[in-house]
Amino acid sequence: MDILSSLWAGFAVAALPINLALILAGCFAGTLIGALPGLGPVNGVAILIPLTFAFGLNATSSMILLSAVYYGCMYGGRISSILLNIPGDEPAIMTTLDGYPMARKGQAADALAISGVASFIGATLATLGLTLFAPLLAKAAIYFGPADYFALYVMAFATIGGISGTDPRKTLLAALLGLMLGTVGLDPSTGVARYTFGSFNLYDGFDPIVALVGLFAISEILFFLEQKAQDRKLIPKGRVFPRLSRVKEGLGASLRGSVIGFIAGILPGAGASLGAVMAYSFEKRLKDKGSFGTGDPRGVAAPEAGNNAASGGALIPMLTLGVPGSGTTAVMLAMLISLNIQPGPLLFERSPDLVWGLVAALYLANFVLLILNLPLIGIFTRVLGLPAWGLMPLVVAISYLGVYAITHAAFDLMVMVGFGVLGFVLRKLDFSLVPVVLGLLLGMDMENNLRRALSISGGDFTILLQSTIALLLYGITAAFLALTLWLSRRGNRAPVAEDAR
Amino acid sequence: MTDRLAGACFFLLAAGYVWLSTGYTAGFGDPLGPAIFPRVIGIPAVLLGLCLMIWPRHNAAWAPADGLLRQGAALVILLGYALLLEPLGFVPSTFAAVLGLGLLMGAPSIWGFVTAAIAAPGLYLLFDRLMGLPLPVIGTWFG
Repeated sequence: MDILSSLWAGFAVAALPINLALILAGCFAGTLIGALPGLGPVNGVAILIPLTFAFGLNATSSMILLSAVYYGCMYGGRISSILLNIPGDEPAIMTTLDGYPMARKGQAADALAISGVASFIGATLATLGLTLFAPLLAKAAIYFGPADYFALYVMAFATIGGISGTDPRKTLLAALLGLMLGTVGLDPSTGVARYTFGSFNLYDGFDPIVALVGLFAISEILFFLEQKAQDRKLIPKGRVFPRLSRVKEGLGASLRGSVIGFIAGILPGAGASLGAVMAYSFEKRLKDKGSFGTGDPRGVAAPEAGNNAASGGALIPMLTLGVPGSGTTAVMLAMLISLNIQPGPLLFERSPDLVWGLVAALYLANFVLLILNLPLIGIFTRVLGLPAWGLMPLVVAISYLGVYAITHAAFDLMVMVGFGVLGFVLRKLDFSLVPVVLGLLLGMDMENNLRRALSISGGDFTILLQSTIALLLYGITAAFLALTLWLSRRGNRAPVAEDAR
Repeated sequence: MTDRLAGACFFLLAAGYVWLSTGYTAGFGDPLGPAIFPRVIGIPAVLLGLCLMIWPRHNAAWAPADGLLRQGAALVILLGYALLLEPLGFVPSTFAAVLGLGLLMGAPSIWGFVTAAIAAPGLYLLFDRLMGLPLPVIGTWFG
């Protein structure tokens, strides 16, 4: 009952005209960004964050906008998977397996409808899960002390890239690099200038927002230029209206995919790509009689439900523990921290408006997305015909104007380009970027919790190991690391986690 | 091979980082001081960098020569855009950047021109006039 009344209050927040407008705009922009090959949720959200600051949106409205974009990208990614055989973003890779063959058989409309409905089921069930489980986790997390938080951060860093299958040493190095970058600037408790090399521009440290736009938007441009521009060929849609009977075939797969995706989303560092992969392989193992890979509706429904459910699940650890479960939620965390809102268990008590307003907005966003992605799908398929040379330079211009609008300094634009080059080189070298972002974001808080714990104990480091919660978290971390080491020894490379390329 | 290089870079970076931390002296009444945390993260990074240098696993494939050339040119445009945004103003610098990047991405030259000519003033009108973000319309060189 408690949840219902909170949710009711949340709907009152989400129904404010400004928030409704942001839901509409976010869903539209998200579907568009998701549909365009090369741009995914993490790029889309990174580009929009400076704008939310520049417009002076409050934290609740900003989160609503960004989450609508996040959900929208998950819907949109499937469009180019089905029509072009190019995934619009990483989590939509699995949708190409059966979606494109369906389109080649002249059933593009069916495939788009099946995946649209599957996306809706996945995202709605995940939002329901968020409503039920997030408050529970937040309640448990209230018992966390400083030493436990330190342990939690250690776990977050050790596991974020864990299942992604990249070399675990590189994940740790990336996290440490982020932490090192995070220490640049004035030390908050002693006022000592660290690693500023005498530059006053660096006294405030690196603005995480500027770093994010560089790492995700600018590096994407450099990646894009790697290959020569190539023409894309849209598959003609075939029949205009989808058949209801085909949509029904995907329902069971959507439900199963949702549950699997949701669980994958909650796991730290796994994200939507893993959700889609797991949902597809499970469905294939369960139901395949040779039709998967040749245009089976269940092969379209399962991964789409999986990646949408995972993106809802990924919001849970971010909101309740302040530890993001995916690249995109890491970027959202950056925004909340920059707005002086510390996600974590206290968020549910201190800012119920934000949490419940966001949850309610997600329910509304799903309905908006269902409408955008079924009857209005034609708008987005037409956009896919636009050439990349017309769109990518605009991404650059919007990144620049967004960053300039919040910092008013050419120096920060240079920092952004610098982070863009860093992001490009790291991705080339098979390092994932999400741990870097996490390090940069959580570094200061991690140091503060370490300081707090040590001032309680009077400088005795053993306090870090005295609480049961902390020991439990270190145990989970160790088990996790052992598992990933064992997996990478076996050469079993799991698919790269969402936007952690 | 690139792993060895990356490992060496991380090793040098982290070693320099830890070495610099010795210059930061502890404040009064602070049990940790500004130097300990950098060591807590710097020393593992030194070891991991060394480990990557000795046991490399991955070799990055860089773009072919024409790709590298395009990336280099894009970098020049991006840096130029950052440096010239204030002196030139938003509209001229955006025009140049959108045009340059569009051509690099394979736009036919006329269409690249048209896109930039619409996008630069269009973005200014949309964000400055319509949505109220202050952008420098006329650069310091002209004003």
